[in-house]
Amino acid sequence: MLRDVANWIERLLGLDPATFAYSWITSVVVIGVMALVAFVFIAFFAGPVTWWERRLAGRIQSRIGPNRVGPQGVLQWLADGIKCFLKEDLIPAQADKGLYMFAPYLVFGGYMATFAVLPFGANLIAADLDVGLLYLLAITGLVVIGSLMAGWSSNNKWALFGGIRSAAQLVSYEIPSAFSLMSVVLAAGTMSMQGIIRQQGAWPWDWFVFRNPFLFLAFFLSLTSSIAEGNRTPFDLPEGESELVAGYHVEYSGMRFLWFMFAEWGNLWVIASIATVCFLGGWQIPGMSPAEIAASTGLAFWGWQALTLGVFVAKASVLVAFVIQVRWTLPRLRVDQLMITCWKYLVPGALFCLAGVLVLLAVVPENGIADWALRGVSLAAGLAIAVAYVWKTRAAYMADRDLYRRMEGKELWYPPFRLP
Amino acid sequence: MTFAEITQRLGTAFPDGIEVVEDTLMDPAVRIRADLAHAVCLWLRDDPDLHMDTLRVITATDRPPESIDVVWHLLSMRHRHTLVLKARLPRETPDVSTVSDLWASANWFEREQWDLMGVNFTGHPDLRRLMMPIDWVGHPLRKDYVRPDSYHGIPTSRDAVTPVTRAEIPRHLPKAEPTDDLMLINMGPVHPATHGVLNFLLETDGEIVRHAKPDVGYLHRSIEKIAEMNTYAGTMPYTDRVDYLGGMMTNQGWAMACERLLGIEVPRRAEFCRVIACELNRIASHLVGTGSMSMDLGAYTPFIHWLRERETINDIMERICGARLTYTYMRIGGVCRDIDRETLDKISAWLDHFEPICAEFDRLITGNEIFVHRLANVAVLTKEVALSYSIVGPNLRASGVKWDLRRDEPYSVYPELDFDIPVGLGWRGTVGDCYDRLLLRLFEIRECIKILRQAIAMIPDGEVRAKVPRILKPAANEAYGRVEAPRGEAGFYVTSDGTDKPWRVRIRTGCFTAMPVIEHMSPGLMIADIVAVIGSLDVIAPEVDR
Repeated sequence: MLRDVANWIERLLGLDPATFAYSWITSVVVIGVMALVAFVFIAFFAGPVTWWERRLAGRIQSRIGPNRVGPQGVLQWLADGIKCFLKEDLIPAQADKGLYMFAPYLVFGGYMATFAVLPFGANLIAADLDVGLLYLLAITGLVVIGSLMAGWSSNNKWALFGGIRSAAQLVSYEIPSAFSLMSVVLAAGTMSMQGIIRQQGAWPWDWFVFRNPFLFLAFFLSLTSSIAEGNRTPFDLPEGESELVAGYHVEYSGMRFLWFMFAEWGNLWVIASIATVCFLGGWQIPGMSPAEIAASTGLAFWGWQALTLGVFVAKASVLVAFVIQVRWTLPRLRVDQLMITCWKYLVPGALFCLAGVLVLLAVVPENGIADWALRGVSLAAGLAIAVAYVWKTRAAYMADRDLYRRMEGKELWYPPFRLP
Repeated sequence: MTFAEITQRLGTAFPDGIEVVEDTLMDPAVRIRADLAHAVCLWLRDDPDLHMDTLRVITATDRPPESIDVVWHLLSMRHRHTLVLKARLPRETPDVSTVSDLWASANWFEREQWDLMGVNFTGHPDLRRLMMPIDWVGHPLRKDYVRPDSYHGIPTSRDAVTPVTRAEIPRHLPKAEPTDDLMLINMGPVHPATHGVLNFLLETDGEIVRHAKPDVGYLHRSIEKIAEMNTYAGTMPYTDRVDYLGGMMTNQGWAMACERLLGIEVPRRAEFCRVIACELNRIASHLVGTGSMSMDLGAYTPFIHWLRERETINDIMERICGARLTYTYMRIGGVCRDIDRETLDKISAWLDHFEPICAEFDRLITGNEIFVHRLANVAVLTKEVALSYSIVGPNLRASGVKWDLRRDEPYSVYPELDFDIPVGLGWRGTVGDCYDRLLLRLFEIRECIKILRQAIAMIPDGEVRAKVPRILKPAANEAYGRVEAPRGEAGFYVTSDGTDKPWRVRIRTGCFTAMPVIEHMSPGLMIADIVAVIGSLDVIAPEVDR
């Protein structure tokens, strides 16, 4: 994509890409612009999603949530951002100044760099690397260094605890995360993100998650371990408020604090889109093959891009909402339980899935009866879980609604546009 | 065993030990020879027929010019009898032997009495100041105490105009870094998990805590001293500051102590009003206790749901007494105003609404597997340790001791009401672990609902305040009013001297004895467990420090 855009610009300028000597300049410019686009995306995702999360949490906790800045509080994130931006950037006197100042950028950089290989639509990807998934797993290692650096350089014992916990947690959970994604790589036969999506179809029974029971299990393992990598409840030990005050960023304020928050909520997107790409069929539209989209031209091409973008964002948003709901439902694990969860359950589970996928690949021919039977079983399991989830949520909601109506004489739920 | 039998046995065992058998308005009291204190206590504790397993409180009363009285309130939970031991010490050399080797709770009681009254407990392992800073001079509760004008350049008087300069203030405890590869870390005084101003000095080996030392006194408002300067009725507003989550109960404790001193009979309707207000308050307190505990463990939602319910209680309280947190609802001889029929209906309606919410809370968090694993088998408080540390209230019951003042030392109209006393059974782990303490509170909430329903049905018509003289001047005597507060026994030991102000007030709260037990349980726990322990013991700072 990068090369394509560079070539297209050069052609637009009347230059022949094949012979143009300074082609690298256009490439650098394009890289810069794309980085800017990714950054703006993170800002415009992480910001509003904080508002969304707070509103959703409000609903879960039967309160309203931010609703003062802008209509229904949608601009709350801007107000928060401006507040942080204008605050004093406090550096503790005893801190290791250089490391302290640099750490937030490393954490943020670790997450932002993943956007280089994250697809948004049929052709909307900064760089479709052949080793996309490997790059993604590797580059998030920067986050470990960043949070450890922040924890150490703050010269605060709570921050140090947070940093060490963060390092231990991230390093441990990389393993089940990587293994469960490796089963996808086996099934897809490629590490390229777009390649993995193209190996799946648009309909749910073509998605990897419902391809066979092992991949079905791997989906949950992968989601769990990426939630853990993202430091979100029930795995938010590095910043567990009631234990470590705020963890590795306890001393940070102002804009540097904001970088951590950017990274945290930007990471929500990373979690959701990795799962969407690897298991949920990415941006695929039913009835339209990737080749057809690539072959279309002009307005139709961009129309398809927009449509695929929409599909992708919709799938990812569902996952984001799920992760948010998990956060506001579950309590936090203890540090030894965290490690037990990883090493005793997730790692063996992921290895089991990997082995299972290997065996199935060798034994079950694609599109045979056995293959479709496996898909049917997985799909049925998935549907059962989804139905049970919706039904339980609805039952709990109905019970609560009746209670509330009896007590207060008014409706518990009111549509957002009528919020007080 | 009756008091006469106890004194007779005591007289046989220590022929020249008993000086006076006192006739006061509190539990039967015996004054013994001071040098025999330890021997008598040991005998009382170990004699199988007496078996004084609990030390309720140690009080020192200054009686200038010649003496200081030390008072031990003893209780046998097994045989259900009480005894008050007294010893008269010379004021110049108030030395008495420590009993901290007999009851672990005596450690802090004696430290506090040494700090505030200057009684020297010989043989005490760690006789340091507890409430005041370590370099404070003098003992503030003595009658002839003169307040210094300043402390390290900080004026102690309210109307001082001298500017405060930044001074080197010595810390509460010497903070030497531990040597053997342990890290010393301050959990508090301002830490999200300590709910107020508590400090724990943790010596940690990585995540594992080797030793947690509680450091209290940050919220010491000297309510005992304030009470000495106030009239009996005027002390009432201070008592609900003792425990801001259970203000009704501390109100009632004070009112009961004063009523006993003055011999006032409380009208029946007032007793019912008190019970209704107290049980509502108990629910509110347990809601905050269990809710904030779940918040400490990372689950925010249950806490907010509980606070939503507590909000209704606050509204009801506002209807009852006009205040939402510090009620001052009780008066000596009754309550300040009646609970009208409309409010009672509101309470009934709320109870109907609230009962299913309890089940909702259980669905949300109590049965949650992560939550159970965080709490079950963590920080087990065995029966023996709990008794030795004088743990009271839900924490004691969670350890398997069925002791509730509402049932065992009945007061008010509780004997007429039908309710159960839940006891820890090790529901998901061991008896006396954090999960038991949590679950027990949730069960108690349901018992409170039962009590409230009965009380609302049974409340008679009539006056809500007895005829009480305008100026209260009880004759010189002593009384001990105690109630079952949400965090255990709230006891007010009042000594009067015939004037309109109490001579000495001693407040015994549940949290004061729950604090040192954390030190006992801490070795081997993880930092996250310490948070769970503080939450499960439901320790709040103002009750510890008073």
